[in-house]
Amino acid sequence: MSQDTENFEQLRRLLKLKRYEQPPPRYFNDFSSQVIARVKRGERGDGYASVGRVLWEAPWLQRIWAAFEAKPILAGAFGLAVCATLITGVIYSERTDLQPVALIPGAEASISGPMDSPMEIATAMAENRTALINPAAGLEGSLSNSLSALPTDGPLFDLRADPASLTIPGPN
Amino acid sequence: MTEPASREAANPSDEPANGAGDTPVPVEEMVLVKRALKGDLSAYDDLVRRYQERIYATIYHMTSNHEDANDLAQEAFIKAFQALRSFKGGSSFYTWVYRIAVNKTLNFLKQRKNKTHMSLDDLDFNAEHDPDLVALISDKTPRREAGLAELQEKLNAAMQKLSEPHRLVVTLHDVQGLSHEEIAKIVDCNAGTVRSRLFYARQQLQAYLSDYLQ
Repeated sequence: MSQDTENFEQLRRLLKLKRYEQPPPRYFNDFSSQVIARVKRGERGDGYASVGRVLWEAPWLQRIWAAFEAKPILAGAFGLAVCATLITGVIYSERTDLQPVALIPGAEASISGPMDSPMEIATAMAENRTALINPAAGLEGSLSNSLSALPTDGPLFDLRADPASLTIPGPN
Repeated sequence: MTEPASREAANPSDEPANGAGDTPVPVEEMVLVKRALKGDLSAYDDLVRRYQERIYATIYHMTSNHEDANDLAQEAFIKAFQALRSFKGGSSFYTWVYRIAVNKTLNFLKQRKNKTHMSLDDLDFNAEHDPDLVALISDKTPRREAGLAELQEKLNAAMQKLSEPHRLVVTLHDVQGLSHEEIAKIVDCNAGTVRSRLFYARQQLQAYLSDYLQ
């Protein structure tokens, strides 16, 4: 043990050498002013400083951040999980079959056929305006009409698709 | 790297003479902290000037690289300013900043792994007149041709071979002169663990530097 202690004494003498290692002359003259300048830049509210403050004030976030810094594979796995969640969300949102809903009752009927005369167009616009002013009345009327038109036997919905035809009325 | 429990009690009275110990927060320091909290940057400038050399030195001895030590020391003080509201005054501001600097350095070293690039500071000319160092390069040493610069390089290389917790304890105790208790507070472990790590680290260093020790 005494031999060890003696040897450690030699080592401690050697380690004293580290105390003589000095940074370049006048290095510490500017050190604090550089720190203060960087603090001032941070106070102006750049994103990094704000993120740093949030990380520091939430220890669990700090631990997660430290884990990510220490193990990049963990950060990669986390990123992969986020991407997978995002892609899954996008795919499921595309699969959802939403029926288009006519916001203005009667509008669908009014534009279902070609309007030949300006009179017909004006009538349709007037109907739409009425529906906009009093949507409840329009909804009630269209609902009662729709219910009375429901077939009593057979399928509720006819899902056959008709080919669309687009005819533009000519000048004559 | 774990040390046997029997080493825990090694060198129990091995306290440095200039250890700071667990001193209460000096009033003036607390006043500066309160002023800095209110946005007085000149007060924070005073605090930085007070501890910049010790914080820099600790990080430098851990990294053996001046540029890294400069960046990390600045970042530690900036982080301390941003987190000043969480400083309750339970320990000295110095110990608190030290803990921030040490954590920052350990995180940095984990990222850097084995990519050690030494950029050593110059030796103060007074080193040539230090009797302890003169003795090391005297006729009695096995490698008497070794100059101080070579010793410095070998010593830093040996320090870099230690694991971070062991290097930290040697740096804080044998180079910086902190007490076991104060190191325990900074590293967040008990004093026995500090002693154990110190003993193990010294043994390792002794083996690495056997050519330069009697």
